[in-house]
Amino acid sequence: MWFKSRSSALGDFEQLVLFGVLRLGAEAYGAAIRQEIHARSGRDVSINAVYTTLERLEDKGLLRSWIGEPTAQRGGRRRKGYALTPAGTAALRQAYHALRAMADGLEGRLNPR
Amino acid sequence: MSSQPPRLAVRLLSWRLPDACREFILGDLEEEFLLRAARSKPAARRWFWRQTLRSIARPPATRPSSEARTPGDPFMRTVLSDVRHALRVFVRTPSYAFAVAAVLALGIGANTAIFSIVNAVLLRPLPFEQPDRMVRLFHIPPQATFPGMATFSLSPANFLDWQHDSTSFDGMAAYSFRQLTLTSGSAEALRVAVVGPDFFRVVRTQPALGRTFLPEEHDPARSKVLVVSDGFWRSHMGAAPDAAGRTLTFDGETYTVVGVMPKQFSGNAWGATMVPMWAPLAWTAKERAVRENHNYQAIARLKDGVDLGHAKSELEVISKRLEQAYPSENAGWGGTAIPLQELIVGDVRGSLLLLLAAVALVLLIACANVANLILARAMNRRKEIAIRAALGAGRRRVFQHLLTESVVLAMAGGAAGVLLAKIAINAGTAMLSNQIPRAEEASIDARVLLFVLGASLLTGVLAGIVPALRAGRTDLNDTLKEGGRSDTAGAGGLTRRALIVAEVALSLVLLMGAGVMLRSLHALRTVDAGFNATNILKLDVNAPDARYKEPAQKTTFYVSLLDRLRALPGVESAGWVDTLPVTGGGSVQPLVIEGSAERKPSEQPTVSVRVASEHYLKTMQIPIVRGRDFERGDGDAMLVSASAAKLLWGTTDPIGRRATLPLISRTNAIPVLGIVGDVKEALAEKAPPTVYLHSRELVFGDVSVALRTSGDPTVVSKAAVAAVHDLDAQIAVQGVHTMSDVIEEQLIAERFRTLLLEVFAAAALVLASVGIYSVLSYLVRGRRREIGIRTALGAQTADVVRLVVVEGLKPALLGIAVGVAGALAAATLLETLVFGVKASDPLTLSVVAGGLLIVSVAASLLPAWRAARVDPLTVLREN
Repeated sequence: MWFKSRSSALGDFEQLVLFGVLRLGAEAYGAAIRQEIHARSGRDVSINAVYTTLERLEDKGLLRSWIGEPTAQRGGRRRKGYALTPAGTAALRQAYHALRAMADGLEGRLNPR
Repeated sequence: MSSQPPRLAVRLLSWRLPDACREFILGDLEEEFLLRAARSKPAARRWFWRQTLRSIARPPATRPSSEARTPGDPFMRTVLSDVRHALRVFVRTPSYAFAVAAVLALGIGANTAIFSIVNAVLLRPLPFEQPDRMVRLFHIPPQATFPGMATFSLSPANFLDWQHDSTSFDGMAAYSFRQLTLTSGSAEALRVAVVGPDFFRVVRTQPALGRTFLPEEHDPARSKVLVVSDGFWRSHMGAAPDAAGRTLTFDGETYTVVGVMPKQFSGNAWGATMVPMWAPLAWTAKERAVRENHNYQAIARLKDGVDLGHAKSELEVISKRLEQAYPSENAGWGGTAIPLQELIVGDVRGSLLLLLAAVALVLLIACANVANLILARAMNRRKEIAIRAALGAGRRRVFQHLLTESVVLAMAGGAAGVLLAKIAINAGTAMLSNQIPRAEEASIDARVLLFVLGASLLTGVLAGIVPALRAGRTDLNDTLKEGGRSDTAGAGGLTRRALIVAEVALSLVLLMGAGVMLRSLHALRTVDAGFNATNILKLDVNAPDARYKEPAQKTTFYVSLLDRLRALPGVESAGWVDTLPVTGGGSVQPLVIEGSAERKPSEQPTVSVRVASEHYLKTMQIPIVRGRDFERGDGDAMLVSASAAKLLWGTTDPIGRRATLPLISRTNAIPVLGIVGDVKEALAEKAPPTVYLHSRELVFGDVSVALRTSGDPTVVSKAAVAAVHDLDAQIAVQGVHTMSDVIEEQLIAERFRTLLLEVFAAAALVLASVGIYSVLSYLVRGRRREIGIRTALGAQTADVVRLVVVEGLKPALLGIAVGVAGALAAATLLETLVFGVKASDPLTLSVVAGGLLIVSVAASLLPAWRAARVDPLTVLREN
């Protein structure tokens, strides 16, 4: 709470958000990312947690954003879409590789026998 | 339920979310809400609220500046973190948190309950369109004739002249009340309001079913129509949708129901709407000409743009003109208009505000107590606070932190208080609804909740501010150096003693109020009303005009009824009167004694006139001073009360002389048979001069029968009702009560007020003694070392006990002195509410002060005893 790491290593929730953006492609925006994370990881996070992370990732230069057109389903509000920057793709790739390398061959031991 | 997201949640979010992402988050939430609402709307709303609360607690970062490491606005952040911290602290020390919250819950709950009644009675508008424009119209009677009476009913002719001549009103209607007996099915007497043509226009309420009266239905020949209340429609007509057009039989006559009023129309305390049905007033030409007899009420609506003052002066001008036009009837009779709202709540305003003030005092005492508890805890937590300060928490920050804790506790107390209030309201309003107008409407509405919120915040701040200020001043070095040692005696001692002074003083004011009220109630109960209420059963019987058309028929009916009642086993005597004492109302008429000319109406002495049967006085045990009681077979005759004899005849003996009652007959001079004792009409008022009239022929049909029984009067009630029905099964018998119950009924408002004040005073006493106890315990703990040394040097148990008790008595005595001053100041407010005792009654005051002193000593004894048990060896070794 008092000490937040400034290092460029991605936190696990940041990774989930980046994967969500990557998976959703052109449809990557707050609500969709939230639902994607909920559906795939089972984590029912609040929308503001998603936005906090999105903003932080954008600050770090890992995401870029654009603002879309207002729609009726949103009560006439606009939506903000996100996409990975090259740096974002690189950071996610690095995190994924690191995780996969560390997990290599251990999968069987994580599952209950 | 709409498929819109909850509006309050959206509003909260818009408020809390930073500009940069508000639109996107709201859009996202609404989009997902719609998806979820397609499956289940309640689940979607719950989800939306959960998301909202989580977002409010931790709003997302705004575009980060390099400094904003912790997002959100800093004040809100620290408050929220303080709240979270407070909650964690309370989970760790639940007994402390519970004690504080419970004390505050009681205090806030009591305040909420009283406020909700004040809200319903004084603050909520009446359920009519623009209720503040509605006024009731009255005569102002000539003061020589009706001393002390501010208003009087209207006569038909005067009302019609007012209506014709005035321009200030948008509609004006006379009304009155009658009783009809439902004779389809078992006999049931029902009150009906007979209302003039403008009535429904003035109240501006549409019927829920059918219509109100047509203009032609105010013609006496076509007036057998009724509009019924929602309650009657449900209880007697099965809530039938086609009720309009049905017929009902009253006293053998057929009435057509033309409309049903909506439920809320009856939901207020104005008599004209609290009836099961309304009928056209339908004055006959003869009735319209009556100018001298004042028997009608009137309601009117002020025209837009006309103020009350203008309307009043217009009525005065018209009345002046009428005085000149009809001097014999109207001399001295003025006119006025009074807002309906004021009439309905005017009497109880003082009483309610008094209770609100009393209950606020209880809350203040609770605050002082809680401040004590927080203070004690803050002292125990000095190390924690010192460490916070050492780590860089500023004085303001520590202050805010501690204040947050007490506010959080007060909020919890407030929430519990609402529940307590809800319980109290449910229990209390049923008892009150007859006595305090609109009290049954008391409920927890938005305004009450706002009051609770405000009261809780204020309570939290009041209770927390002294401890928080003190903690902020803690000397860092000393505290940390002290190690874990308990604090010293002086710390906070002065503040604590001041709290005792305040608690004792406030308690004394409350106890004094309760004491005076109790004595006043006792005085009212034991006041000599001029008759003996024990072992009297009363029943209201009405022989309706419709079936008993001739006076002789009525006379015969009541003669045989009294015969039957007197024959019942257990009945010693029986008689009837048109209006029993203490029940309110009754006729007041001018009286002219034979040999003196009739003076102008405005100068004519008036007396209460009670039409009574033989043996009514004997039954009530109203003493016959001289002369004799009425006997059956007497012609027209009268008995005069002692004060009436003095008022009318002065020193002359009235027995054998004669007098006329011009309102009944100018020619019939009635002989006086005797002088009887004075009887009070209202317990707290002087007995009015009264004349009892024995009438050869009865012109009206409803009377109250009184039975004196040899034992418990309720035993004969069944047989008495059966006796009426034996004579005529279609006569409704109402109001079967003992006379003692009737008197108690009159005292409900006083009893309620007294009961509440007693409860408040008891709560105050308990809180104050707990306060004294806890402060002394704390002080004793701080002085253990000193006491140990004293004991070691040879102090006896008695010396130590005295030391501590005196320590407690000093602030208690100061509190009593301050309280006595406060009680004397408060007495001026109470003076109008008490009877038979002065609000500053010295005896009550000294009993209360003495009692409080004893309680203070008692509360000091336990800590003193504990101090005396201090083992010097242990204490001295501790350091």
